[in-house]
Amino acid sequence: MSTATVVHTKERLSGVVQSVGRRPSDVPRRWWESALVFLFFTVGYTWFGYWVVVDQHVVGFETLDRLNRALMVWHNDPAKLSAIGFDYPPLATLLIAPLAVFRGFVTSMAAVPLASAIFAAITMVGLNTMMRRALVAGPLRYALLLALGANPLVLLYATTGTRHFVWIAFVVTGLGSLFAWYITADVRFVMLAGIAYSVAALSGYSSLTFFVLSAIMIGAILARLGADGTEVEGTVVGFAAPTVYVIALWTVFNLVLLLSPFSWITRSSDAASSGGLEMFSAVDLLRATGELVLYGAPIAIIVLPALIFSGFARGNPFALWLGVLLGAAILTPALAVALRLTDSPMLMRNALPILLLSVVGAIWLARSAEEGSTLVAAVVIVGLLVSIPWTLNEMKTYRFQNLEAPFAAALTTGESQEGAETLNGEKVGIVSEQAMAEYIRNNVSQDNSILTDNAQTYAVMMLTGHPELFFDRVDRSDGPWKEAARNPAEYVDYLLMSTADNGDLLTKLYPDAAAGNDAQLQVVYSTPRYVLVGVPAGFSPDQQSSQIDQLGQSS
Amino acid sequence: MTTTQTRRNPRLTDGVDQDLRHLIPEGICRTFRVMPYAAVDGTVLVAAADADDTITAHVVAERIDRPVLLVRHTVNEIVSAIDTVYPPQETEVETPEARRARMQMAQMLTRSGLITDDQLQRAMLEYSRTGDPLGDILVSHEAITEDVLVAALSEMYQMQRVGLSEFAPDMEVARRLPEPIAQAFQVVPVAATEELVLLAVARPLDAEQAAEVEEALGSPFRQLLANRTELDQLIQHVHSRHYAEVSTRLLMETRPEESAHIVVSGGQKATFVLVAIVVVVCGVIWPMSTVIGVIAACSLLYLVVSFYKFRLTLRALGTHLETDVTDEEIAALDERHLPRYTILVPLYKEAAIVPRLVRDINALDYPRTRLDVKLLCEEDDQETVAKIRAMELPPHFHLVVVPDSQPKTKPKACNYGLQLATGSYCVIFDAEDRPDPDQLKKAVIAFGRVADNVVCVQAKLNHFNQDQNLLTAWFANEYSMHFELILPAMGAAESPIPLGGTSNHFVTSKLRELGAWDPFNVTEDADLGIRLHREGYRTAMIDSTTLEEANSQVPNWIRQRSRWNKGYIQTWLVHMRHPFQLLAATGLRGFLSINLTMGTAFVLLLNPIFWGLTTLYVFTQAGIIQQLFPGIIFYVASALLFVGNFIFVYLSVAGSLQRGEFSLTRTALLSPLYWGLMSWAAWKGFIQLFTNPFYWEKTTHGLDDGSAGQS
Repeated sequence: MSTATVVHTKERLSGVVQSVGRRPSDVPRRWWESALVFLFFTVGYTWFGYWVVVDQHVVGFETLDRLNRALMVWHNDPAKLSAIGFDYPPLATLLIAPLAVFRGFVTSMAAVPLASAIFAAITMVGLNTMMRRALVAGPLRYALLLALGANPLVLLYATTGTRHFVWIAFVVTGLGSLFAWYITADVRFVMLAGIAYSVAALSGYSSLTFFVLSAIMIGAILARLGADGTEVEGTVVGFAAPTVYVIALWTVFNLVLLLSPFSWITRSSDAASSGGLEMFSAVDLLRATGELVLYGAPIAIIVLPALIFSGFARGNPFALWLGVLLGAAILTPALAVALRLTDSPMLMRNALPILLLSVVGAIWLARSAEEGSTLVAAVVIVGLLVSIPWTLNEMKTYRFQNLEAPFAAALTTGESQEGAETLNGEKVGIVSEQAMAEYIRNNVSQDNSILTDNAQTYAVMMLTGHPELFFDRVDRSDGPWKEAARNPAEYVDYLLMSTADNGDLLTKLYPDAAAGNDAQLQVVYSTPRYVLVGVPAGFSPDQQSSQIDQLGQSS
Repeated sequence: MTTTQTRRNPRLTDGVDQDLRHLIPEGICRTFRVMPYAAVDGTVLVAAADADDTITAHVVAERIDRPVLLVRHTVNEIVSAIDTVYPPQETEVETPEARRARMQMAQMLTRSGLITDDQLQRAMLEYSRTGDPLGDILVSHEAITEDVLVAALSEMYQMQRVGLSEFAPDMEVARRLPEPIAQAFQVVPVAATEELVLLAVARPLDAEQAAEVEEALGSPFRQLLANRTELDQLIQHVHSRHYAEVSTRLLMETRPEESAHIVVSGGQKATFVLVAIVVVVCGVIWPMSTVIGVIAACSLLYLVVSFYKFRLTLRALGTHLETDVTDEEIAALDERHLPRYTILVPLYKEAAIVPRLVRDINALDYPRTRLDVKLLCEEDDQETVAKIRAMELPPHFHLVVVPDSQPKTKPKACNYGLQLATGSYCVIFDAEDRPDPDQLKKAVIAFGRVADNVVCVQAKLNHFNQDQNLLTAWFANEYSMHFELILPAMGAAESPIPLGGTSNHFVTSKLRELGAWDPFNVTEDADLGIRLHREGYRTAMIDSTTLEEANSQVPNWIRQRSRWNKGYIQTWLVHMRHPFQLLAATGLRGFLSINLTMGTAFVLLLNPIFWGLTTLYVFTQAGIIQQLFPGIIFYVASALLFVGNFIFVYLSVAGSLQRGEFSLTRTALLSPLYWGLMSWAAWKGFIQLFTNPFYWEKTTHGLDDGSAGQS
């Protein structure tokens, strides 16, 4: 056994690159400014979003699905945390669960815009803090935030309850922490970035790309500054631990509950409206990538080369890293198509992270420009302002999209988009769901009395505000649900089905009833998209049992 | 290079160059009678009373990084110039008599060949900084022995000496002088006639002291110079019964409500029995609801304790909440004003560590002449006692043998030592501790800066053998989180701080006033932290670390940790005897902080139960377990399991990063395994609370290099 060498504190810390154990100089905390920015954008986006969603009926069904799951977390019978499911990254639903504590907030649809507005506001706070660290003057900061916040692409995703701003908010927070770390050398910021990225990872799996690149950047920058291997390793471990932990945990959950450890990747529902993967050649992908940047985030065309130039020519490693991140954001949609990791190729929403990373890059360029920072910030603001009408116009015609065209139409015409079609042929609007929900709310009071495939009827369930009325696939998992579907008379009084051919298991099992032609399963109420049928006592659907089994296996 | 000459050069009377006047510190100027005053062709002219003295030339050359020329001047000229540059403080300037005595001592020792020039130079330099007696400095650096010094003093003062090493005192005579006076003046009556008492003294008494002694004795006396170490042993021997009595019974008798000699008070017993009855009755009538209720209460406790720790940690992360002391402030300290500092070192069967301990204490950046190191040994530990005696340590080390009695605990030994303490401040170090060398000075500066009600300054603890194995790395992770994050945050919030086992620095008088440590409490440090808070005092943290040896073997670690957990519960029971009094004394924040801090011990008891239920559920999907966690309880439990546990893992990582111990971050990720060990120890301690409450689980030290001992 050898005697340990005693190294006293001063000696031990003499070779450490980062500032540990003490807070180095940094911009003063201004919580009130952050709170004001947060409040301004939360209220602004919620107010505007309420108009978009409730008056103009521009709402993504994915948002309603997540809010329905959130509602089940609190109000199902029994309350079910497992309602968050595996179709979405878990935090995309869990983080909006508090909005569903009060049913009325959800049924009034006020929760829909708020579900994205909060995260968009967090993003703005993150950008504002970055600008403060970049010593951008107050008026310019606010002008830049307003110019960015008014971008139609940002507006659409910040106001309609979509989940994209959830992960983007945490990625921007993580970037902001690394921004602060690079400036102050305070190791605390690496840890905060680690936490932010871990939340981002379970909010949107796309963030993992940025996480990996950030981990590499931390190691590379420390090594460049002369940190020894222990410091590099310890810091990277400190940064990576939260994300690795949450991904490992989620993988184990998938293994235990689904017997498929990586189904969180394969089952992930990134979009419901792509209509399948088209065939793309390399040239197509290149052109589509160019269009994505040009229409959705044109300032990237200036920022990316500027970052790379600053990185190489001026020895600015952080600029280079931001350039790499921006490059990754630009190339990721095409790579996802090339690797066939997505069934929703080149969607316009992919321009959102490109746009935000461009802004982050521009902020860093402003800081690096020192005396010229005001000029850089002003140029960025002008660029953002110019891109507003440009992007709005392109949203109407861009090939790969979700609700961009209806949103742009609502914005320019001020008319409700109920019944309008998206460019990929989907109907816009929620009148059908609202009518069915209202009927159920007024006429059904018995818990678990409506059998339904919640994967297709979530919008109705959500709008009732009473998930406990439904016997769905979350209540007691698929096995008991299939049992009830085989013999509904024994369990429920009604069946709620979707009339569209969209994979509703009950519709497939009882197609006649869904069409209103079943003699036994009489229609109680129907809307263009849904039908509620009564289940008479003694109803026995013998002939459909085998179909149930087959459907169950394929679901 | 230094040269001397007397030819025409600028003279001191021509004036002192403003840029040169502070080149040499005041102490050195006065001690060596030198003053830099002019520069000619790049050479600094330094006025010197004895320009031929090689030691003076050497000392001056060391402090000026340019060529130096010593120019002979009269003493009066130099002293006048020094007084102009450094206006004298009456109490700090050496009197002519004292200077004569010092020079006489130096000459006596050098002429007789007892010390070398190097030793004298070093001692003179220390004298110039501290103003302490030259002889004492030489003894403290072991340049001469105490016996040689006593002989020299005897010669100088024309006093008789007395040898006490084999002396068997007449207790009646020895106790004629009250213990406080004997202790304060270091004097003991060794013989008496009807007319005269012979008094062994460490140093000649001044007139005031002599008058006080004579009044106490009621008779004239004659002083006999004695070896300080022997005299100290004699005083301890004479008054050991008194010290033993006080060290065991003081708190118990003066503040019985704060003593852990009774583990559970009558009122507490009644309350616990009542609660148990209610739970059992409810369990019989509503079995499932009762179990759910208990689980809900436990989950809530778990949640609140976790949240509290998380909040503290976040507050401290990346900040510097400790009282800040810079290197420049330490360098600027005037050592003449440094107080005497007592260091208490409890030892038990640690003979092998003693040489290392002595080396590390001597390495402290603090004048040895102002150190009062008490090596506290148990009477039955003959090996350690013999080892210390054999080392013939200089008199700033004091062997203190604590008489064998129950309870045989570290706090009792510390109480014993505290009665002998002569320092204005005192600190506890364990035998294997290796404090940062400047820790005492940092503590002194911190005490001068903090509010008046701060009577304790806690330094950080960590481990020097963190790389020995996984257990020591985990231990270092835990300490990093505790001392780098949690305690600084508690200190900044003025919450009651459960003191660490060592490196807590006290204002000695306040510590005595508080009744010192509770000898019946096995985490006397945590208890004392709370007691001082209840009295309106506060604890501050300083950014200085003491490295300890981390337990490297699981059984040994379990013993230590079980004692800590037992002590935490013991401390909680003591302070919760009268919850409303505690609330009134500490305020709501303090009250909550105490309960949440002590709640950690209970959370460790809960861990295995929750883990067991989770594991059972994962493997069996048992419905009964599902029923135990309905609705919100399930969410809380899930959050604790998946988020709470991870956060605590990450806080361990944070502690290591905060400390700059990057090599430990990997092991921090495995800390849930460490919690398993903590829970095992917690249950052991909890059971022992009922079976053997005052038993002090000994911990073996020296496992890092094989020099094992216990404490």
